[in-house]
Amino acid sequence: MSAPRDAIVIGAGVNGLVAAACLAKAGRKVQVLERSETTGGQSRLLEFAPGFRADPLDRDAGWLPPPVARELGLTGLERVIPRATVAVPAGEGEWLVLSSDAARTAQAIRPHSARDAGKWGVFCGRIAALSGFLEALYTLPPPDIDTTAPGELLSLLGVLRKLRGLGRADMIELLRTVPMSVAELLDDWFELDPLKAAIGASGVTEIRQGPRSGGTAFVLLHHHVGAAPGALRGRGYWRAGPNALTRAAETAARGLGVEIRAGADVARVLVKDDRVTGVALAGGEEIAAATVLSSADPARTLLGLVDPVWLDPEFLLALRNIKYRGSAAKVLYALDALPDFPGLPLAGEAFAGTVTLSTSLEELERAADAAKYGRVSETPFVEIELPTLRWPALAPEGKHVLVAHAQWAPYALREGPWNPARREALGDAVTAAIARVAPCFGERVRQRAVLAPPDLEARYGLTEGAVTQGEMTLDQILFMRPVAGASRYAMPLEGLFLCGAGTHPGTGIPGGPGWLAARRVLSGRRHGARP
Amino acid sequence: MKRYDAVLVGAGHNALVAAAYLARAGRSVLVLERRSLVGGAAVTEEVFPGFKFSVFSYVVSLLRPEIIRDLDLPRHGLQILPLESTIVPLDGGDYLGLWSDPDQSRRELARHSPRDAEASQVFGRLMQHMAMAVKPILGMVPPDPASLAPSDLRGLLRLGGHFRSLGAERFHALYKLMTMSSADYLDEWFELDPLKATKAASGIIGTFLGPRSPGSAYVLLHHYMGEIDGAFRAWGFQKGGTGAISEAIASAAREAGAEIRTGAAVARVRVRNGRATGVLLESGEEIEAPLVVSGLDPRRTFLDLVEPGLLPDEVVEAVRRFKIRGSSGKVNLALSELPDFTCLPGTGPHLRGAISISPSLDYLERAYDDAKYGEFSRRPYMDIVIPSMIDPGMAPPGKHVMSIFVQYAPYHLNGGWTDARREAFGDAVVDTVACHAPNLKRAIIGRQVLSPADIERITGLSEGNIFQGELALHQLFFLRPLPAWGRYRTPIRGYWQCGAGTHPGGGIMGASGRLAALEILGRRTG
Repeated sequence: MSAPRDAIVIGAGVNGLVAAACLAKAGRKVQVLERSETTGGQSRLLEFAPGFRADPLDRDAGWLPPPVARELGLTGLERVIPRATVAVPAGEGEWLVLSSDAARTAQAIRPHSARDAGKWGVFCGRIAALSGFLEALYTLPPPDIDTTAPGELLSLLGVLRKLRGLGRADMIELLRTVPMSVAELLDDWFELDPLKAAIGASGVTEIRQGPRSGGTAFVLLHHHVGAAPGALRGRGYWRAGPNALTRAAETAARGLGVEIRAGADVARVLVKDDRVTGVALAGGEEIAAATVLSSADPARTLLGLVDPVWLDPEFLLALRNIKYRGSAAKVLYALDALPDFPGLPLAGEAFAGTVTLSTSLEELERAADAAKYGRVSETPFVEIELPTLRWPALAPEGKHVLVAHAQWAPYALREGPWNPARREALGDAVTAAIARVAPCFGERVRQRAVLAPPDLEARYGLTEGAVTQGEMTLDQILFMRPVAGASRYAMPLEGLFLCGAGTHPGTGIPGGPGWLAARRVLSGRRHGARP
Repeated sequence: MKRYDAVLVGAGHNALVAAAYLARAGRSVLVLERRSLVGGAAVTEEVFPGFKFSVFSYVVSLLRPEIIRDLDLPRHGLQILPLESTIVPLDGGDYLGLWSDPDQSRRELARHSPRDAEASQVFGRLMQHMAMAVKPILGMVPPDPASLAPSDLRGLLRLGGHFRSLGAERFHALYKLMTMSSADYLDEWFELDPLKATKAASGIIGTFLGPRSPGSAYVLLHHYMGEIDGAFRAWGFQKGGTGAISEAIASAAREAGAEIRTGAAVARVRVRNGRATGVLLESGEEIEAPLVVSGLDPRRTFLDLVEPGLLPDEVVEAVRRFKIRGSSGKVNLALSELPDFTCLPGTGPHLRGAISISPSLDYLERAYDDAKYGEFSRRPYMDIVIPSMIDPGMAPPGKHVMSIFVQYAPYHLNGGWTDARREAFGDAVVDTVACHAPNLKRAIIGRQVLSPADIERITGLSEGNIFQGELALHQLFFLRPLPAWGRYRTPIRGYWQCGAGTHPGGGIMGASGRLAALEILGRRTG
């Protein structure tokens, strides 16, 4: 056995790297073990065709919590907010392009609906206020009903004060909005179908529900944490590259003395006398440490790496009941040239946002129905990005990458497993959807790769291919995440912690879970009551 | 001009309860009902000579024990006969039986799944604890979370204290019930699809939700909160139909001095200087009262009864946003003979219980999908009871009545509820039941089909929604029916609301009526 570390971190994605860096900064000796040959986790670039690369999982830069950035000196990263955030077909060959500037957006909406244009600014303000409250919640460990520690009670009171500080109207609006469906929220505000579809899409991304389902308004708010006010669906991207944040986190970690080992696949967490003693790699090598943090998802960690004999049967049951519901597929296209979207200026506007192809909430709802019955949507909900418009180096000169996100493509299909034929059928459906608005699209395609949920699972180690590490439904957030009673990062096994998106605050908050988990480790508090 | 202390608009069961409490406190009370009989959606009518239908609501469970006690309802005729079973016909000719006797239920379940038989016991106990955890909330006026008034803060603290006293485990279980879909919740407990579907069905009653919709587990819990003689989750049938419940409450109200007038439709609430001063009837008659209490749904209460311009714009907006979509239909049949169910042929105790057409979660979910896109379910969920088996007085000797509650029949039907569509709906329902009981069609002497449009037309319930507004999380508790107006008051002084569109919501509970009355009287609750 090699020299003992204070802590081992499993997974060199952003959360693992941030957790490791925070521990190292506090003087701990930390080693990060990464299964694949490259670091970066979800943000790793995938070369899906010779010379063509993409980062299919990250939809935007997410919200890097300021305390995390400050602690690790990650303040130099520049985030670009695209001027055009979302474009949606608005009928008769026209497009509605939303901007990160609310006034511009209102102007774009006006010819289609003066009424909606007039409400746009107020709506943006409302979303900003509500998601702003979530920001406060997301820099704290989740409050729970049995909180007794004075520090936590104070934080809880702080959150409650901030809630009341929203003012009566906004506070009630928050309590009212969170459980709502995004369809109902948008129907209350707007009349224009494509506008509602463009915004509503954000409420059903990475969730196996349609826009009429309760809790999707919360998902919309969650995806807007950290967005600049007025920039709906415009959280932006890192100027330096899709994996700029993970590279910066890695640099910071190494600078603080963290050892990072790639090609090291952790097969088991070693336990003796109800305490963690280290890990064993796939080859048999054992590495000792009294503290192990895993940024892998809860199922992979606790059901995959830990012998069940060390875990309470009720806890195991609760773990098995976590819903992952991976139902997003990615279709990657290597293009010989930029496709032409008639009516939508792409290169001219340096269009670096998202093109969404569903034009009504009803279309989204119908597409979502299929997933309930274990089928792929007949007419999938497709959103596309052209990352080469942000980062030209992802493809050879003059060529482009197009990333299509397709829902709903459930991990487990009733008719049988994902096979090449089913993948191609999905790829064809997505190509057809794009071709409907970009007629010559097919001709530009040099090569195509379809990543169905099992492919995402295999490549990124995500259970059911769920990038969220646990669906972001109301029953699986805050003190319920990953399971009730074990939501403060420490697991019911002494020395074992979770630090990935499967813990609060969840997906799209890079470094948030890692930082909060590290703080929990440093606080020295043992795990509390069992679930 | 006649003058009273309080005028109640509508004689639905909540308004009758409110009237009784106000009268017992010494107020002079007048109840005004548009129809010729009291009860609202809890009425018994002899639609075909000799055949009595509980036209709309048909079973009871949630009637508050404190109301039964305070108003001495058994003396006024309340007599609830328990439903002992639910039978679920399965594809292939078998059935699943759920019995109120726990041993019988376990034996029957074990026949299909020993695992579920055991789980059912534990589940039942947990749900009972959950119901007890929530019960106090049914009896409290919702505190206002944004208020700094001492009484509101006390209420909030009490509520917080109540949740903490549950302990983490129960609090988390309750939180799951408040946020999950009934299908997901039940998937964690059971493996038998028809068992899950039948339980999940109580999560879709009167809602625009499917079993896989988040929020349906709350509705499941809501329906679990009923008690009869202290036994939770027991449903029963009132002797003489649900109309007899309304008559019993009306009798108690009259005994306390309340006057009830039928055939007296209210057109407007009279308002002067922001205060209610009485009501104007459609006949032109004026009645003075400093207190006007509406038992009608929020849309009627705020928009129809009040002169335009008297309410702030944001209140009107909020009322228009309040979701009140009707999704339920009813088919009442007069039968010459009992239905003969293939899965359990002949007469038997099972015909004294309910028959649930809920073979699988997918079945319910597909029924919901139809409704989402503006159609009635081609293969609907149905809850069927044969009241004459429990109370022979409901039909002539040897003959029977069948009550069929149906989900889904959306109020906003593509092309509207024409007579042809209503009949097609009735046919779809009868055809589906006939699949399971082939003698049904020849046994039908009379048929009454009620779409949500009919429910609205007859009872006044907006969009035919049986709960006076959907039981969705964002429309419950202090948000019901509107943020800032969830405590039985309205912006007009002296004008109150007491129907199911207020906390705690729908079902034949009477809780809204009682809490509204106690608020009016200034009595502490909860």
